[in-house]
Amino acid sequence: MYTKFFKTVAATSMAASLLLAGCSSDSGSSKEANTKEKKEDPNEKVTLTFWDENAGPQRTPIWEELIKRFEEKNPNIDVEYVGLPKDSAKAKYDASIAAEDTPDVGSVQTSWLPEFALREALLPLDSYFDKWDEKGKINKGAVAFNKEIVVDHKLYGVPYTQNLDILWVRPDWFKEKGTKIPETWDEFFTAAQQQTDKANNRYGYTIRGGAGGSFQLQRLMYAYSGEKDYIKDGKSTINNKKHVEFLKKYFALYKQNTPQSDITNGYKEMIAGFDTGAVAMVQHNIGSFGEHKEALQPDQFQAIPLPKTADGKYVAEGGNTIGISVFKTTKHPDAAWKLAAFLNSKESQSYWNQQVGQIPTNSDVLSESWVKDSPHIQTAFKVYDDKETILYEPPFYLPEYRSILDTVVDPGTQAVMSGKMTVEEFLNEWAKAIEDAQKKYDEHFKK
Amino acid sequence: MIKTKKRVDRLLTFNLPLLVMLIFTLFPLYWTINTAFKHEGDIIKRPLGYVPASPTIDNFVTAWTNVGFSTYFKNSLLVGVCTVFIVLILSTLSGYALSRYKFKGKRAFLLMLLCTQFIPRSMLIIPLFIIFKFLGLISNPLSLIITYAAVEIPFTTVLMNGFISNVPRELEEAAMVDGCNKLQAIRYVIFPLLVPGIVATSVFTFIYTWNEFLIALMLTNQQGKFTLPVGLSYMMGEFNINYGALAAGSVIALIPAVILFAYAQKHLVNGMGGAVKG
Repeated sequence: MYTKFFKTVAATSMAASLLLAGCSSDSGSSKEANTKEKKEDPNEKVTLTFWDENAGPQRTPIWEELIKRFEEKNPNIDVEYVGLPKDSAKAKYDASIAAEDTPDVGSVQTSWLPEFALREALLPLDSYFDKWDEKGKINKGAVAFNKEIVVDHKLYGVPYTQNLDILWVRPDWFKEKGTKIPETWDEFFTAAQQQTDKANNRYGYTIRGGAGGSFQLQRLMYAYSGEKDYIKDGKSTINNKKHVEFLKKYFALYKQNTPQSDITNGYKEMIAGFDTGAVAMVQHNIGSFGEHKEALQPDQFQAIPLPKTADGKYVAEGGNTIGISVFKTTKHPDAAWKLAAFLNSKESQSYWNQQVGQIPTNSDVLSESWVKDSPHIQTAFKVYDDKETILYEPPFYLPEYRSILDTVVDPGTQAVMSGKMTVEEFLNEWAKAIEDAQKKYDEHFKK
Repeated sequence: MIKTKKRVDRLLTFNLPLLVMLIFTLFPLYWTINTAFKHEGDIIKRPLGYVPASPTIDNFVTAWTNVGFSTYFKNSLLVGVCTVFIVLILSTLSGYALSRYKFKGKRAFLLMLLCTQFIPRSMLIIPLFIIFKFLGLISNPLSLIITYAAVEIPFTTVLMNGFISNVPRELEEAAMVDGCNKLQAIRYVIFPLLVPGIVATSVFTFIYTWNEFLIALMLTNQQGKFTLPVGLSYMMGEFNINYGALAAGSVIALIPAVILFAYAQKHLVNGMGGAVKG
């Protein structure tokens, strides 16, 4: 009896070990790959991993198509696509950098570059970029910005797409009520009032009071003030008089000209308000074009730039781009650059940006007919091409920048909207957090 | 008169609250199933359709083949079954030791087991990543199985301790008087009496592994090795959600859990009673 029981236990354990061992099919080979140092042979069979920081039903098939095209052109290089859900992508990159297990190539948001460069996770691309025959085609301002924000001013990411915050409005409603499409901030506030018709459950505007609202709020504030510097001589411009003035007017719209539920609005709720015909104006970027197109008729939505400052200038946030970066741990830097260059080529940028509805950075694409036929992209060009446009520069280099927006600004916005905090208190708290972070940064990195 | 009053009382205090609760619980499920069978155009059409106008299985085909749910499903099943197997063996044996033996520091040990549950999972991500990278187990289901087992064992051990304490020690002693040794007494006497507890433990563990997202995403760097919750997240892009495929994927993900609960429901209720009493 005793023996029988032990036989059963032994057999079960063996079965379990076999089952578990079956799971570990490739651990050996990957370990081997990590330990072998190889010189790059252009014809050597290479496998690259590519991480997409915003995987989803729209973008994943686009990357897969581009990767297929790349593999056809480079039969010796296989690319393994790994899609990361947008909300967890940064955390995934963080963990992989900490464990030095990064991909070869990745799509990296410009705001992450300073931190990744500080952590020495990325490969400088300057020498590859300088030798690349399409280097002159990539938006020079965007490339310069990417260099400017990193600690050693090297190129760690080649931008393949650009975005811009705008206002989406309902031209049909504006026409119906004779409201002027706003070009100035006064016209904006008037339009929000005129378009509000609470009896018919219609509101002039919607505020993103929930997660992610901080980014939009900041872009609106600087678009109003025309302030170029985020930090001047160690002092943040966040709490300057114009920003106080703007936020007082802006938050006064809440409940008067916006739905009451705006206090918890995330991206989806905010866009749903516009797309379901409850709201006349919403601030977002040109990336939400696809959703409006799906939900509304072509004459029911229109992209317009954020209103101009009092002295007639457009303001946009610098670095609103996403780029291709090569990670330092790659065993195949040449092949990785080949992929990065391919993804930034005219053909790839045209395909990617046309599908997603964003602005390419390769100048050759800008003359293509689809760009000319996209009114929302033309709106973005109107802002970027204007020589007077001010590009303000958020301190992406501060390691705490993002967490300040998430933990100080987002809850602060809700506190102001619910009347628990004044605009002045909110902006002072925000400015102090930025100044403290800047001080820490200076102590550590500017010795 | 009294009978009618009793009926009204029952209706107001029992049937009606239950009905409200039932609607509250089942409506999201009904809406998910409804959406899963709708064409894309019908999903966003106004007014909303409470029944699919022309039902389709396209969303299931998209989720299963195009998005790769067939692979994610297999991965989740493998991880779930292996984790349950490990957790059951280890937590039953440790639960037995805690229940039947007296040793120094037993209370402190129990307390420590419970304390492990208070550690936020997100804090463990980077250390786990480094450990598994060192072991060459990144993108390997084994890393998930080990992590999930480690996370679940403390709680399930405490649960099993409760279940085993409910089984009279005399039964074991009687079996040993009849010639069984310790292991045989556990196998032939204790084990059959623990079925409700084992089912409860298995269901808890399986549901945890089936739904876990963060660790599954972090410890996997290959698309083909992701589990179902990560797969579901692919249906939600920043500016675009494939509601039909998302709903279909959710329905697919629900099936094993529903089957498991349907089978285990009776044992689960008994099991929870046992654990609480213990």
